[in-house]
Amino acid sequence: MARPLLVIAFAGCLLPAACSPAGTGKVSLVVYSPHGKELLSDHEVRFEARFPGVDVKWLDMGSQDVLDRLRSEKNNPQADIWWGAPSDLFEQAGEEGLLLPYRPGWAEAVPTEARGSGNFWYGTYKTPEVIAYNSALLKPDEAPGEWDDLLDPKWKRKIILRDPLASGTMRTIFCAMILREMEKTGSAEGGYRWLRGLDANTKDYVPNLTILSQKLARREGWVTLWNMPDIELQRARYDYPLDYVLPAGGVPVVMDGIALVAKSEPRPEAREFYEFVTSGPSLVRAAREFFRIPARTDISPSELPSWIARTPIPAMPLDRGLLRKHSREWMRYWDEHIRHKGDSGDSGG
Amino acid sequence: MPMSVTRKSALLLILPVFGLLLWLVLYPNLFVLWKSLVSDNRFTLAHYAAFFSSPSQVEALGNSLFISLGSVLLSALIGVPLAFVFHRFDFPGRRIFAALASLPVLLPPLVGVIAFLFLYGESGILTRGLQVLLGLSEPPFSLRGIPAILWVHAYTMYVYFYLFVSAALKRLDESLREASLSLGASRTRTFLRVTLPVLTPAMVGAALLTFMTSMASFSAPYIFGGGVRVLSLQIYNSKLNGDLEMALVETVVLTLVSLLFLVLLQRYEATGKYRAVGKGASPSLRPLRGKGLRLGMAVLGISAVLFLLLPHLTLVLISFSQDGTWTTQILPPRYTAANYGRLLADDRFLEPIFNSLKMATLATAANLVFALAAGWLLIRKKLRGRRLLSALTLLPWALPGTVVALNLATTFSVSDPLQARVLLVGTFWILPLAYFIRNIPLVVRAVQAGFEQLDPNLHWAARSLGASWFYSLRRILLPLLLPAAAAGSMLAFVTALGEFVSSIVIYTVDSRPISVEILSQLRQFNFGSAAAYGVFLILMIAAAFLLFGRALDERHRPAGQ
Repeated sequence: MARPLLVIAFAGCLLPAACSPAGTGKVSLVVYSPHGKELLSDHEVRFEARFPGVDVKWLDMGSQDVLDRLRSEKNNPQADIWWGAPSDLFEQAGEEGLLLPYRPGWAEAVPTEARGSGNFWYGTYKTPEVIAYNSALLKPDEAPGEWDDLLDPKWKRKIILRDPLASGTMRTIFCAMILREMEKTGSAEGGYRWLRGLDANTKDYVPNLTILSQKLARREGWVTLWNMPDIELQRARYDYPLDYVLPAGGVPVVMDGIALVAKSEPRPEAREFYEFVTSGPSLVRAAREFFRIPARTDISPSELPSWIARTPIPAMPLDRGLLRKHSREWMRYWDEHIRHKGDSGDSGG
Repeated sequence: MPMSVTRKSALLLILPVFGLLLWLVLYPNLFVLWKSLVSDNRFTLAHYAAFFSSPSQVEALGNSLFISLGSVLLSALIGVPLAFVFHRFDFPGRRIFAALASLPVLLPPLVGVIAFLFLYGESGILTRGLQVLLGLSEPPFSLRGIPAILWVHAYTMYVYFYLFVSAALKRLDESLREASLSLGASRTRTFLRVTLPVLTPAMVGAALLTFMTSMASFSAPYIFGGGVRVLSLQIYNSKLNGDLEMALVETVVLTLVSLLFLVLLQRYEATGKYRAVGKGASPSLRPLRGKGLRLGMAVLGISAVLFLLLPHLTLVLISFSQDGTWTTQILPPRYTAANYGRLLADDRFLEPIFNSLKMATLATAANLVFALAAGWLLIRKKLRGRRLLSALTLLPWALPGTVVALNLATTFSVSDPLQARVLLVGTFWILPLAYFIRNIPLVVRAVQAGFEQLDPNLHWAARSLGASWFYSLRRILLPLLLPAAAAGSMLAFVTALGEFVSSIVIYTVDSRPISVEILSQLRQFNFGSAAAYGVFLILMIAAAFLLFGRALDERHRPAGQ
């Protein structure tokens, strides 16, 4: 009779047995990380060559997703290591008891802002946020050189941004702009005014980086805001016509970090992995191959790629405490009262 | 009628069916409802007051309603005529295109929707093509806002109408139509008074699925909305911003709207007056007389399907185009097989495909068994709690995939037999379970529509002739239910194969599905490889459709043809 039904029923009984993971006798180490397949597999291969008894398994996801996941898995933690997120996410996770304190051997080699409270996390890479543009459309001296240049009416309908609610990078940039205006006026109102000006020039907010870079390459927009390593990587790997400006007045720099996940029986191999990926050679490799600027200051500049020395990063001072306290409220206000209110977007269809 | 046997067999089904629904569907929902009404351990309506006093929330609610009703209308306008073209008339190429017409229900996650952008977006193939053709300085249109969402919804959701109505047409009793015509009724009158009523259960089922899918739809408003507020996006944004209470309230409101639609439509189904008195003879396809007519129908049907497959074809194009080179041209300037090469060179390439196949198969098998049991109960008009049962089986559809996954993750995060909680988080089983729950409405609806058209007297006739309950099920009921059951299972299978929104929340190291792998490729800017993965998924889905479709056609070709 019903052949397809039989096939389904049959396959349903057989498949799980046939495909269940075979016991390899290796210790599995699970890493949650937003650092991307290429950087992750690179480190996985090198770590497993050094520690043949360990099988590193990583899941590649956004840093906000990692936090969500750790929360929902609190009673049955799956991950051993959380590798990669802006410092404030780690601080939050530390407070919620999701992390295990650990002091790496190189703890003294990073500046204080790269040392998490309670040793819950330590800084790995510094990620500067920059102004990016389509280099086939604009010459370097034509691109907006400072943050305030973005508000110039000549960029009307030429800016495309990633949706800031979903993106840690964009949130950092928006909040940094509010903090900057707050210093001048003492209230968030000036920052909101600035963001309103930006919204008026913004043609569209897009959900992810891939769509953003496609739209930029296809000339739907000319200018965007994003982080430096991603643009470098994309340019180097795929010839995208992209370039960026580091505003001399200062750029927000995100401190990326690493942490051990709280477990009732933590694996000793997790510490090995922690130390391995933050070792001098690994950081040099990440800088050369993946454009990551190390947080550690004890690495000889001659080993690092020359662009790091060539491009000094004018870090913008950020009041982290204020940022953590207000970012939710600011972003909610932006979503309700500023997004698409500058009547530049053509949301009418 | 042997009542005692009926009661006993019904009871055997009622317990597990209701038990499963209460445990896996109702329980997590009540959990969410309770959470939305409680603050600091006290009952409060404050969250709801905040929702209804916010103009942007009310606007989102209105938009969601409008978009969902519009999607139902547009999907019906495409799906129903298409079903008639392919299942009432015979012409060359009919079979293969009839199967292909079901394909759009599953655009591969993420990349599929992006294919729309490359087709109809501001710099899309059609947009730029028209712009050049007409010599315009600005793009003639851009896929944005509410019209864009409706466009994408109609494009993908017509398949519910197409499949359900096709299944019903296969079971349509031709003698009814002939009787009507021979009694002097006009063709129009026959269509309105005979054919259409028989199709009603299928149409109601499709309308419900379309409405609920639109309410919970995420990618279309997210990528094409251009700032249009809808409830599903509000939930996502609230959650991202850490406003969990507001996200819960938005979830409850969305669920209630979907349930309201369900209650309204329930009046039009299952009243028993649409039952076909089947004599086992399936309707034959009408061979078209006249070469011109044959050709015309073939051209109409095939070009409609090709148009509906344009996003899929675009995806194939992207998968062969060299990353980064397609910028200002109408079509990609350079082609390469490197995107596929990069996939095949990865030794983890097959892992997500196997994972998805395994989990989709498990979930669908469970769905089918469950749907047969639930459908058997749902056609009993006298069964107490039938309406509740019907509502419960549809409830998962009213919930956005994210919510289903979150509910599971919350409810099954610890083992606590007293609270009926089992530890599933972080295990292989949680994803197949999520797929199973999400597809309950799909398969139950399809099977129920099949049962509605079935004459239960056939079963009783078999029983009175001495057949056992199981024998009647196997030899009479199942074969007659096959078109409907296969249509539902097939949809469930391909939906699970490419499922993204739930998977992303609860997948584990050992159960990474295809959709998560596509996301991973996209995150690395491997746009071409992500598209290539999407193409693999399309091929798997097409194979599934052709296989199921062929099996169906063979079974239902009347003897001697």
